[in-house]
Amino acid sequence: MLEINNLHVEVENKEILSGIDLKVKAGEMHAIMGLNGSGKSTLSNAITGRENYNVTKGDIIFKDESILEMEPNERALAGIFMSFQYPTVIPGVNNTYFLRAAVNAKKKYRGEKEYDAATFLKFVKSKLKEVEMDAKYLKRAVNEGFSGGEKKRNEMLQLLCLEPELAIMDETDSGLDIDALKIISKGINKYKNSSRSFLVITHYQRLLKYIEPDVVHVLIDGKIVKSGGKELALELEEKGYSWLES
Amino acid sequence: MNVSDYQNEFNKIIARKYFPSRLNSTRQKAFSKFLDIGLPTKKWEDWRHTDLSFLNKNNFRISEANDAPENIDFSKYKIKNTHTLVIINGHYVEHLSDAPKELKVLTNYEYLEQNDWKQKDKKDTPFDLLNTSLCDSGMSFIIEPDTDIDKPIHILFICSGSENLIISPQVNIDINRSSSATVIEQYASETSSFFQNNCVFASVKENASLNHLRIFSNANKTINISSSYIEQSENSNYKYFQFVDSGALQRSDIYNSLKGTNSTCFLSGLTLLDDDQQSATYITTDHIMPNCTSSQNFKSVLNNKSSGVFNGRTIVREDSQKTNSKQSNKNLLLSDKATMNSNPQLEIYADDVKCAHGSTTGALDNEALFYMQSRGLDRESASSLLIRGFVIELMEEIENKDLRNYLFNRFDKWLIKNNK
Repeated sequence: MLEINNLHVEVENKEILSGIDLKVKAGEMHAIMGLNGSGKSTLSNAITGRENYNVTKGDIIFKDESILEMEPNERALAGIFMSFQYPTVIPGVNNTYFLRAAVNAKKKYRGEKEYDAATFLKFVKSKLKEVEMDAKYLKRAVNEGFSGGEKKRNEMLQLLCLEPELAIMDETDSGLDIDALKIISKGINKYKNSSRSFLVITHYQRLLKYIEPDVVHVLIDGKIVKSGGKELALELEEKGYSWLES
Repeated sequence: MNVSDYQNEFNKIIARKYFPSRLNSTRQKAFSKFLDIGLPTKKWEDWRHTDLSFLNKNNFRISEANDAPENIDFSKYKIKNTHTLVIINGHYVEHLSDAPKELKVLTNYEYLEQNDWKQKDKKDTPFDLLNTSLCDSGMSFIIEPDTDIDKPIHILFICSGSENLIISPQVNIDINRSSSATVIEQYASETSSFFQNNCVFASVKENASLNHLRIFSNANKTINISSSYIEQSENSNYKYFQFVDSGALQRSDIYNSLKGTNSTCFLSGLTLLDDDQQSATYITTDHIMPNCTSSQNFKSVLNNKSSGVFNGRTIVREDSQKTNSKQSNKNLLLSDKATMNSNPQLEIYADDVKCAHGSTTGALDNEALFYMQSRGLDRESASSLLIRGFVIELMEEIENKDLRNYLFNRFDKWLIKNNK
C-alpha cells in the first residue's frame, strides 16, 4: 500500500526527516510515536504533499506508484486521507456543500455518477450517526464554531464519506475528551479492513488504548530509531523516550 | 481634458436656450469656484490613492439630445420583477420606462420649481462643482407619504454611442413620510469612453425606508464619479448596497446625515476588480441625533494590478448619545500586484456610545486551500469556493431574491474570469 524509501525532507532549508523507511501493507495499522519536533507531522505533510515540504532524497510509493510529483488533490483522489491535527476553519463555505464537492470529485475520478444535493444528504446523514455528530454542524461553515472534539468528528465524517485506502491520523487524540476519543476509535476500528490501512501519528499512547496498531515506530530527530509491536507503545509510556536517544 | 476644454463645454451649456436662465448664476458661481480650485491631485489627502490621468488624457464633450442611439439592447440590463426607468446619456427616455403609478417623476427643473428654486447643499468638491456647472439632465423621483412600492425601481443610466461624452446628471429621490421603496441605480456604459459625474440626493423622511442598491457595471474605458447625499429624518431606515465589477475608475463619495432620532443606516458593498481598474469608496456617516444605529461593511476582491480604496468615516456628534456604530472592511488580494488602501475612522464626541471598527487585507488562506485540496478538490475549485465564501455573507444580506440572483450571476461571471 505505502512504501517510503530513504525519505529526506527539508522545510525552509532545514532537514527535518533524515532517511525514513516505512512499509505499510494493505489492512495494517502502523503507529508513529515521537516527541514534539521529532518530525511526525512533517512525515504526514510530506505524504499528503503540502507546499514547502521539500523531498530532497528518497521516494514515497503509494499503490506501486511514486506520488512525489502529484498535487495534494491527486494524492487524495488516489486514496490518501489525512485527519488534521488542527482542522482548518473555512469561513463562508458550507460544510455539507464542501463535503459533497469533495465526495463528487472522488466519484468523478472513479468514473461514477455524482451525488445530487438530496441523495447526498441522505448519504451523509447515515454517516453522521457513526460519528455521533449533530446534524446542525452540516449547516455551518466548515469547522466554524466547532469545538476541538467536533472538529475531529468532522474529520472522521469526511474520512467515512471519502473512503480512503490509506488514512493518516495526525494527533487525532489531542484535545479530545474521553467520549469523543471512544467514538473516533470505534470509527477507526470499524472502518479498518483488509484493504484499508492506517498510519496513526501520536505523541502519547492514549489513543492506543482503544485501537490496536500492528506495528509501532519510534521517531526521534527525523529517523525511525525503533520499530516493534504494540508492546513498544507501553514501554514508551513507562520509560519515556530518553532511553532510545543516542 | 484641460481647463480650456472644460470652459468650452461650460460655454455650450450656458448658450443652451432651453434651460431656465435663472440657473445660470448658480452654474457660473460653481464653475468659477471649480476653476479656482482645479481638479484634485495626488497631494490632496482624499485623492492620494486615485489616479485621474485617464481623465486628463481623454477629451469629453457634453451630450446633445440626439446623442442617444435608438437601437440599444436593453434585455441584457433587465432585472426580473423590477420597474425599469431608462436614462440614456443623462436623458430620461419615457417611452422605454415603466414607472410605477405611485411614483412621481419630475424633471429637475420642475423639482426645483416646486422647491422654490432652492439648490441642495453639496460639499463643493471639484467634481460636485463640475456637476453643478455642467448639469444638463437627471430626474427627480418622489414617493408620496404613506406609499409602499412593492417592486424595486431600477433606474438604468446607460451611456451609449461612439463619442466620448461627459455626462452630469443630478438625481433626487424623495421618500416621504411613512413610505418605503427599493431603488436600484445602475450605471452601464457601452463601448466608448465616458465620464459620468453624477450627484444623487436622497431624502428619507420620518418613518420611511429606502433600500438603495447601486451597481457600477461600466465598460472598461469609463470613469464614474458619484456623490450621494442622504438625509434621514427620525425613525427612518436606510440600507445601501454597492456592487462594482467593472469600469476604469469608479469613485463614490457618500454622505449620510442622521438628522432624526431612532434611525438606522446600514451601508455595505462588494467591489470586484481586475486589470488596472480602480475603485474608491469614501463614506461619511454623520450621527447628529441620539439613538441611531449605523454600519459600514465593505469587502473587495482585487486581481492583477487593480487598486481599491475604502475610506469610512463615522462621526458621532456631541448630542448623539446611545449611538451604535460598526465599521468593517475586508479585502482579498488575488495578485501580489493589487493594492488596497483601507482606512476606517471613528470620530466620537459623545460619551455614551458603542462603536467598533476593523479592517483586514490578505491573500487567499493557504492553509484552507491545502485543506480543501487534501480532500480531493483541485486548486481552482478550492480557491473558487474560498472566494465565494468570502463574499457570500455580504451578498446574502440582499433580501430581494431577484436582485440577489442578478448580482450572484455577475459575481460568478467575474469569478470564472478571475479565478485562474
